[in-house]
Amino acid sequence: MRVYARYFVNRFLQFLLVVFIGVNLAYLITHATPIDPIEHTVSVATAFGHTAPEAVAAMRESLRELYGLTGTPFEQYVNFWRRVLVADFGPSLSAFPTPVSTLIGRATPWTVGLLGVATVLTWCIGNLLGGLAGYYRRNRLLKAFGIFAMALHPMPYYIAAILLLIVFGFVWPIFPITGGSQMNLAQGWTVDFALSVARHSVLPLLSLVLVGLGGWFVGMRSLVSNIVTEDYVVYAELAGVSRRRILTSYIMRNAVAPQVTGLAISLGHVFSGALITERVFGYPGIGSLLVDGVNAGDYSLVLGVTTVSILGVSIAVFVIDLLYPLIDPRVTVS
Amino acid sequence: MSAVPNTARLTTGRDTGPVVSARDLRAWYRLSMFGVVREVKAVDGVSFEIRSDEIYGLAGESSSGKSTLVKTIAGAIRPPLEIVGGEIAFNFMAGTDGLHRASGEVAGQVRWRHLSYVMQGSMSVLNPVRRVRASFADFAFRHMGLDRAGFEAAVVSHLARVNLEASVLDAYPHELSGGMRQRVTIALATICRPNFVIADEPTTALDVVVQKEVLGMFRGIQREMGSSVLFVTHDMGVHAHLTDRLGIMYAGRLVEEARTRDLFARPRHPYTRHLIESLPRIGDDKLRRGLEGSPPSLADPPDGCRFHPRCSFATERCRREVPAMTPVGLDHRVACFERDRVEASQ
Amino acid sequence: MFVVIRDLLRHNGDFLAGIVLTGFVVAMALLSFVSPYHPLDQFVAPLDVPPSAGHWFGTTSRGQDLFWLLAYSIRNTLAFGILVAIISRVLSLSIGLLAGYRGGWTDRILMSINDTFIVIPLFPILVLFYFVMRDNMSWVLLAVLTAFLGWSYDARLIRSVALSLRNREFTQTAVFAGMNTREILAREHLPFVLPIVFSTTLNNMNWSIGLEVTLAVLGFTDINRPSVGGLIYWANQHSAVVAGIWWWIAFPVGLVVMLFIGLYLLAVSMNEYIDPRSRLDRMGGQGR
Repeated sequence: MRVYARYFVNRFLQFLLVVFIGVNLAYLITHATPIDPIEHTVSVATAFGHTAPEAVAAMRESLRELYGLTGTPFEQYVNFWRRVLVADFGPSLSAFPTPVSTLIGRATPWTVGLLGVATVLTWCIGNLLGGLAGYYRRNRLLKAFGIFAMALHPMPYYIAAILLLIVFGFVWPIFPITGGSQMNLAQGWTVDFALSVARHSVLPLLSLVLVGLGGWFVGMRSLVSNIVTEDYVVYAELAGVSRRRILTSYIMRNAVAPQVTGLAISLGHVFSGALITERVFGYPGIGSLLVDGVNAGDYSLVLGVTTVSILGVSIAVFVIDLLYPLIDPRVTVS
Repeated sequence: MSAVPNTARLTTGRDTGPVVSARDLRAWYRLSMFGVVREVKAVDGVSFEIRSDEIYGLAGESSSGKSTLVKTIAGAIRPPLEIVGGEIAFNFMAGTDGLHRASGEVAGQVRWRHLSYVMQGSMSVLNPVRRVRASFADFAFRHMGLDRAGFEAAVVSHLARVNLEASVLDAYPHELSGGMRQRVTIALATICRPNFVIADEPTTALDVVVQKEVLGMFRGIQREMGSSVLFVTHDMGVHAHLTDRLGIMYAGRLVEEARTRDLFARPRHPYTRHLIESLPRIGDDKLRRGLEGSPPSLADPPDGCRFHPRCSFATERCRREVPAMTPVGLDHRVACFERDRVEASQ
Repeated sequence: MFVVIRDLLRHNGDFLAGIVLTGFVVAMALLSFVSPYHPLDQFVAPLDVPPSAGHWFGTTSRGQDLFWLLAYSIRNTLAFGILVAIISRVLSLSIGLLAGYRGGWTDRILMSINDTFIVIPLFPILVLFYFVMRDNMSWVLLAVLTAFLGWSYDARLIRSVALSLRNREFTQTAVFAGMNTREILAREHLPFVLPIVFSTTLNNMNWSIGLEVTLAVLGFTDINRPSVGGLIYWANQHSAVVAGIWWWIAFPVGLVVMLFIGLYLLAVSMNEYIDPRSRLDRMGGQGR
């Protein structure tokens, strides 16, 4: 138990470090650049027609307060942290006066759902097939799948998404290509709505899964083909343990541990991919919110989405870290 | 006192000829690299028998082919290793020709029930992510014909034979010391009371004190169970201490075989003599001479007797002809043309 | 080196395919130096001409010849990838070697920071950066930021190799010979690490180019600098797919996909060469 406690503390410190560096990065980018977001917003707001200089000054002042840009740099920095910790990013400029946190709260379930399902599917399918391909090296079907997955793997998410969009939007339109559900359908716990959500999520899911599969497949295949020669596998074979038992409890079970670490490592990347995919398919999640925020010049929204993303991903990674000892009992030793 | 029921022992197993016999066994590695085939003749014409209730030792340098011989007998043939010729017969598998040609079903029934294995590199032979209990269940449960509780009781009482407590069942391999792990694998290999146990360098990685303790236990269990054992190690000291009969391998061939006591007393092969002489003895301050040259490449072994390039007795005949294993006494065979000269020069 | 490449070409189909694909893309980029058009010129060609003898890849709705524009674009895109690769190599090499060689607390601190950068989602950060910079955004700036965010994964790999070098005899010899840390890393360890640096560079380029294409497609870079992503951005602005001007999207996407697969195959085959275990595997033996 004491070793687990030490492991826990270690991972928790790492989690804090991720949040600390991530939030500071966001602070640095928004505060240390020569560009003043206030002036930018003011110039957008006053671009049309004449505005009285007093009104501009008042606007500037209220924006400054809104964005937490008042006081000394140190006060600003402390203020920034306070806002992050209570998840208060002020009102959105493009959807005034809705608070940014409300907008993010509305979008989060979509992103978490899409990303969660995609990640679980990709990880399970990729590792299962990769493991089988490593064990049954001469299987033609698995070899062909390997080539297919390898060709898709280096594709950035955007390109995969747009290819699917073209294929299923124009060449063979069988799936809806935009939105999270049917427009005129009331959101709620109804079968119709659930089906609509499922249908709308097919293409975004598919593009995330297709791009992600190859990495897990190739990784698992090479892990398994190395583990096959490990002493404990050979020994179990000599003991006449059934092939199925050897494949599951001896080979796959040992190969899964590094792949769980891999999941934690790749989560940030997959998250970025999901944001982009959402944008391509007009999926109402955080990614669309982010891009809309940029296009509308909504400073607090963009900053809010960025910090929430950093927090969300690091929490998810922390959770995976905590579950890891269940998979590999050796981790608490070293 | 045994808690393990001794039911399914095959009737052919006891005192009716050898448990294992190998005839002219040849197992080669065939590697094909960019179209060029390379053959490594790791086991090249080996014949021997292991009798019931004995510990048969196998000695030789690290590249002498002992490990390959063990793999071949255990049926662990995996490319690029191939059995090129010869026969292996087990008395508990009457009518079949070795494990490597047996069907998966037959092999599954024989493995661990009749033939078990204590492996080289025993530090890594237990599945690192499963508890010791799971290994016992995977390896032995199907052979024992017991329910869960009965099986658990049998395992616990068997562990007591190697001085291990029941709590090791709940441990992961990495939580045990090297000596404990080795005792776990010995318990694992003997719990089904197999007719035949192969032990491949089982104590090499242990420190000397632990090694002695483990060997003592191993001997005790073997006597109690009446199993036959093939015990492989390069350590002649261990052989002197443990084995009943001893075979010496050099460059893929058996060069001498005798009762261990006889072999140490009157070696007839110059290589055997070298192995025995290189053992340290208290009070002996004579400077020991090392063997000149290095073991031959098994991809391109020398003609004739494979030992001749390093042999001080070698003649022209040794360079041309391969000496056959020839009986020179009770249970004593040697493959050397100059065996009398070797003996006379002691 | 030369022999290695010849052997790879002869015996490794992946490597050959990678060379051909990457070579084609690079040749295309080099062609931009002899382009008859200036890349920023618009309305110098007839609008919306499908691929033909006069305009191989057709023309855009902005009156540009797509072939020559694409040549410029891929050149800029490659330049971006190479710049990111160079900067991030310097970072990942120095951090990875230092952490692996020093070990102990240095290693722990550096790797904690390293793992942090692995975990942080980069896309929102880069978007935030664009949001703040807006019109002051340049590709060099973006490349520097991308490199500063993208060194971590490779640093971890390099560190693991350096860690194994630390305990080798020649390192001890170098220490006794009075070499300082910098000299040991540069003279003794660097040569061992270079092969992985090579293959990770290719993967890193793939990653950074993918990122740049994505940002450009969304319009989050300097959209007036021709780049493959920028091309797709303008095609989207003109609803090229809906209007049936498929070539405006197809050729840029096709070319960039060739680059991705080409670089990936090169990295994979290079890795196989470095890791003898998988090489043995390829020859049919299990290596036991």
